[in-house]
Amino acid sequence: MKILPLVYSSSEGRSLAEEVVRRSGQNIMSCYQCRRCAAGCPVGDETGITPDRLIRLIILGDRDAALQNRLVWQCVSCYTCGTRCPNGINTARVTETLKKMAVEEHVAPLSPKVKEFHSAFCAAARHMGRVNESEFMGLYEMKNTFHELFRFNLKSIFNELKDQAKMGLEMTRKKRMHFGIERVKDRSELKRFFKMAKDKKSAHKSSPRTRG
Amino acid sequence: MDVAYYPGCTLHASSKIYDVQVGIICEALGIHLHELDDWNCCGATSASKTDDFLAVAMPARNLGIADEMGLEQLLIPCSACYSRMLVAQQRLMEDNRLKTEINAELKKKVTGKTRIVSILDLLYPLFKVKPFRKKLHRNLRSMKPLCYYGCMQTRFPIDVPIIDDVENPQGMEKILRAIGARPLDWSYKTDCCGASASINDPDVALKLMGRIMKDAVAREDADCFVTSCPMCQLNLDTYQEKIGEVYGIRKRLPVYFITELVGLALGKTPEELQIDRHFVGAVDRLKELPLL
Repeated sequence: MKILPLVYSSSEGRSLAEEVVRRSGQNIMSCYQCRRCAAGCPVGDETGITPDRLIRLIILGDRDAALQNRLVWQCVSCYTCGTRCPNGINTARVTETLKKMAVEEHVAPLSPKVKEFHSAFCAAARHMGRVNESEFMGLYEMKNTFHELFRFNLKSIFNELKDQAKMGLEMTRKKRMHFGIERVKDRSELKRFFKMAKDKKSAHKSSPRTRG
Repeated sequence: MDVAYYPGCTLHASSKIYDVQVGIICEALGIHLHELDDWNCCGATSASKTDDFLAVAMPARNLGIADEMGLEQLLIPCSACYSRMLVAQQRLMEDNRLKTEINAELKKKVTGKTRIVSILDLLYPLFKVKPFRKKLHRNLRSMKPLCYYGCMQTRFPIDVPIIDDVENPQGMEKILRAIGARPLDWSYKTDCCGASASINDPDVALKLMGRIMKDAVAREDADCFVTSCPMCQLNLDTYQEKIGEVYGIRKRLPVYFITELVGLALGKTPEELQIDRHFVGAVDRLKELPLL
């Protein structure tokens, strides 16, 4: 394992930590690195970095490492870490906040499929007001295929589509698949909410980030 | 008893059987369900992972519809919808500014007076009292299930007061004991099955489900899982064959919804309850036990 020299800038650390505390509503300063969260994290083995490490990176002001790591994308939101924190930090909300920040700052996700999944889900919910599994999965597979095509990863596309088609067929056989489309009749309020969410995001982006 | 009802998208699609079963057992127990008029998606994990405002605003529209109906309780059987709606209600009650902002857009305003209940919250108080016990027509004495709660029944992104223990909940066990079954103790009842990771991060999901399966088959007497979460049910059911292949596990455990076992206890048939729509032989296990 390569050990990188520790570079610490107090001003960078302060501005990043303050931003995360404000947006997540979690007082990460009270973390004393007991690692109970890490012990309970079901994906810790995969991600290498656990919630306690993530908090440390934020406090050290290592913005790049905090925004681009596997935990931010592979966290399954099981909330075990927060349940066990002796200092009452809901660590998963810190992780989720960094994911939102990573998306806003266009940091390339280490698990693009996770990103496409959530964006396809929200797009399907916005379209009809209810998520129709066929629409949502179709949208997700399309986004995913496009992404893999861009990287010319034809084998991955083939395997993905083969697996999903197999699953779809099996589900149809077991009468668990439903192809009807459900929609909310009055979608005006939902449309307004999606617009408000978009406005809030752009307002957030345009406000200058305080740096050092 | 009149109860408001929010099925959510999954219960109108891949877990339609859960919706059907909830309807059947509520009717048998004399509970009249009133489905929210023109309800929308709760946003699920995707909205809460990507947008703080939508994570509250999307459930808020449903909460407003429920509050306007004026019923005391709102039943949400799907664990994900239950969790998201409960969290949104709590956040709206804590943050007056957010509540005013969202209510300004809604025709039916959120007041927060409707109490959100899961299927476990709804059933348990009923089975404690004698008149309901008389409705039980089948005793599940021979069944030794493993209660699987998953993440969303007890753990939330913010502090939400719940009745059950967070790490070792007992609600499902109590209901199953009331209908005669003998639930076993095990270690993975609140561990994560991976949920949507089974689609977007399959290696991780398989690993998580593999751990759950290993602990489950180590309890030699166990004959099935019981869950109240449609994601957990679908994941453990559809991927069990693959988990078995990867981790060399030969034993298969059907994954029942709690409503299926309660329905059976109330004397309903597997056909009515659509128990034949499982991947791991659910009807066969009932015959083996023998409960049919």
